[in-house]
Amino acid sequence: MNDIVIELEGVWKIFGERAGEAMAAVKAEGLAKSEVLERFGAVVGIADVSFNVRRGEIFCIMGLSGSGKSTLVRHLNRLIEPTAGVIKLLGQDVMSLAESELRAMRAQKIGMVFQHMALLPHRSVRDNVAYPLEIRGEPKGRRWDVSQHTLSLVGLDGFEDRFPRELSGGMQQRVGLARALASDPDVLLMDEPFSALDPLIRRQLQNQFMALSEQLHKTTLFITHDLDEAIRLGTRIAIMKDGRIVQIGTPEEIVTDPADDYVRDFVQDISKLKLVFAHTIMEPLESYRAAAGEAKDLSESPRAPEDSDLDRLVDVSITTPHPIVITGAGGRDVGVVTKDRLLRGIQGGK
Amino acid sequence: MTGARAPQATEAAPRIDLGPSITEFAGRQAPFYVSRFRLLLSARKRTWTLNRAALLFGPLWAAARGLWGFFWLFAILELFALVQVGRGLWGDLGAPKRAEAERLQAKSDQIAADAEAALSRGESGAAALRESAANLARAAENAFLEAGAAAAGATTLLIVGLVLLVLFRLLEGLRADRVYERQYSRWRSDRRVPSGFSFSRLAAGLALAAIMFPATLYRFTVSQPAEWLRTVPISRTYHTGAANLLDRWFDRAAEAGAGVFDGITAGTEAVLDTIEAVLAGAPWPVIVLFLLLAAWRLAGVRVAIFTGAALAYIGLLGFWEKSMLTLALVGSAAVFCVLIGIPVGIWCARSRRAYAVARPVLDLMQTMPAFVYLIPIIAFFGTGKVPGILATIIFSLPPVIRLTALGLTQVPASVVEAARAFGATRWQLLRGVELPLATPAIMTGVNQTILMCLSMVVIASLIGAKGLGQEVLIALQYVAKGQGILAGLAILCCAMILDRIVQGHFKRPDDGA
Repeated sequence: MNDIVIELEGVWKIFGERAGEAMAAVKAEGLAKSEVLERFGAVVGIADVSFNVRRGEIFCIMGLSGSGKSTLVRHLNRLIEPTAGVIKLLGQDVMSLAESELRAMRAQKIGMVFQHMALLPHRSVRDNVAYPLEIRGEPKGRRWDVSQHTLSLVGLDGFEDRFPRELSGGMQQRVGLARALASDPDVLLMDEPFSALDPLIRRQLQNQFMALSEQLHKTTLFITHDLDEAIRLGTRIAIMKDGRIVQIGTPEEIVTDPADDYVRDFVQDISKLKLVFAHTIMEPLESYRAAAGEAKDLSESPRAPEDSDLDRLVDVSITTPHPIVITGAGGRDVGVVTKDRLLRGIQGGK
Repeated sequence: MTGARAPQATEAAPRIDLGPSITEFAGRQAPFYVSRFRLLLSARKRTWTLNRAALLFGPLWAAARGLWGFFWLFAILELFALVQVGRGLWGDLGAPKRAEAERLQAKSDQIAADAEAALSRGESGAAALRESAANLARAAENAFLEAGAAAAGATTLLIVGLVLLVLFRLLEGLRADRVYERQYSRWRSDRRVPSGFSFSRLAAGLALAAIMFPATLYRFTVSQPAEWLRTVPISRTYHTGAANLLDRWFDRAAEAGAGVFDGITAGTEAVLDTIEAVLAGAPWPVIVLFLLLAAWRLAGVRVAIFTGAALAYIGLLGFWEKSMLTLALVGSAAVFCVLIGIPVGIWCARSRRAYAVARPVLDLMQTMPAFVYLIPIIAFFGTGKVPGILATIIFSLPPVIRLTALGLTQVPASVVEAARAFGATRWQLLRGVELPLATPAIMTGVNQTILMCLSMVVIASLIGAKGLGQEVLIALQYVAKGQGILAGLAILCCAMILDRIVQGHFKRPDDGA
């Protein structure tokens, strides 16, 4: 349990003057969202959200606008107060913190990146990056050292003394990322950081972010409305709809086994080539033999390990007329992927 | 929209059937309005339709249909036309002139009688008296003629009134459908817009008309309407009572708060005296050099040249000392304005309630004529420099407060949120984020305040503040045009030096960097 960094348990957020009453009614009667609005004039922002994020994980929360994802991420550092539920960060109950403890936690444990950068226009890039350290009261020399270092991490050497307005959108967001990293936080909260950028720059920043997170291993809560982005970056993905979490799983689980029609709609256009692996689509060796007969000779078949993705299997398959034999731990044969299975797998069917 | 050929795609667009919704909207006479609205909606050119209900019933139709703007506009126009008709029919148009003529005639008769008496007594002035009696008689005759002419104008008035009335009604009939159609469009997006035909609205319209029409007609057409209709029934005693009450209140407050007021006076005076000692006491070359350098370094060469010219004007025309006194007065008033205004502005930006309270007070401070609060200031602080400054502060404080509050509320919420997310305290947020981002707005406020302070110097001199204002005041008293204009220009020079330096300083960071 020690390596669970973020822990949410039954978190609710209801907006409105009568949020308290509405919450009680929801708990007692299980009202639907529309009923809450009708009876209390209150809007349900977050409904009964629970999940854990492990150390070093990039946990993506994906949802369309209005699904409550940006509201949810602001609960972690209590920029928004929950109506009910438990939020723990690094084992500490966030709700029990006093004002000053909360500020200390925000300054030391959490770095946040915003959709619209939210840089301070009157400060140089260096001073923007150093802002969290300045709040913590670090001396100026140290602030400069750290900001120099984090700026070089995001590839912005030489821009320290510029002002944000002189930088392009992509560069500004890299400053935002550097600022979030400057205080060396345990947790990164990223609220649609790349959504406002054009697709090419977005792709570049995603790659840079992935490289950076391999290096730094920051536990990250990443908010996005773009499933492609969630799949590229996420260790696990939570899909939100109307303030509720519909499904949590690895990108492969989400794509191959969508929990409901809503998720299925999202994933149907996603390419499975890099997401689905041999062990998911293979037929176990025993059942293959049972169906095709013991005599079926697999000696001429190529071998591929079970963690090969479909892209790799296609490469193998076009070189041979035989089915591919999948090998498990220790090089033992565990299953078979025929051409039919491979094609169905690419389609996403079973 | 116009007659040009529409592209194929829009030609092919199926027509939507508005019938049911127009029926729901119109209620009574629905089929009529359905066809009328269709006609208006499909017309390419301006189409005139005549609504007979509106033509016949005018404003009452509008009231029943809930078109209150239409109702008021045409009710007033029709009332105007009716008043003309009424005056033409029953009005005694010659009455004022006839009264004058009668008065003149009476006077003439009297003087003529005096002349006869004088003549019979054989006095020498009789001829002159008879002459003036004849003059008056002629004047009276002229007045009678004019009265006759005015009375003859009654027919014209009657005709004009009737023509106007018919024109207005016709206009109502022609506009009605179009106006009602617009109401329908609004009603489609906002169901609170009145719709249908309502008897209660008709009754309200009737009641309004029943109050307005007879009373107004009576007032304008009868030559001697009853007294109660002409004068507002308010007694003079309220006014005196309230004024006396305020008088007593001020007296008591001045007595009770004497210590406080003396303290304020002493504090203000200390600041003023210091600034005055520096400005008036320092040798003029030092001040000139300082101002020129400040203008150059803070605002650039052009402002420095302008400052030099303005200072030369002040110095060569002998306004130096007075200008320094004025600058000291304005400077200390501005310092107080900033010291009070910025914190109050911050408070107003923080607390909605504080701003709700402050707003009417600020409006009052800005719009109340200065002379009105000069009176209580004199009551509390006497005359001299300090009350002059206080009056200046009252007038000039609002822009700093307003613009500080405005600047702070306009700081982007996302930036504030980011600062909070990194653990900033409220003070760090204010100092490091909000105030810097609000600086342009705050400086605009400070600038306005300085200029408003300068515009107050003449009024402040009324209660004994010395300086250029006094010069203008003296010129005013002796109608010395030249002197007044010269002193006025000196005030302008002071104002522009301060304005250009302060403004120039805060504009520069954007150009540079």
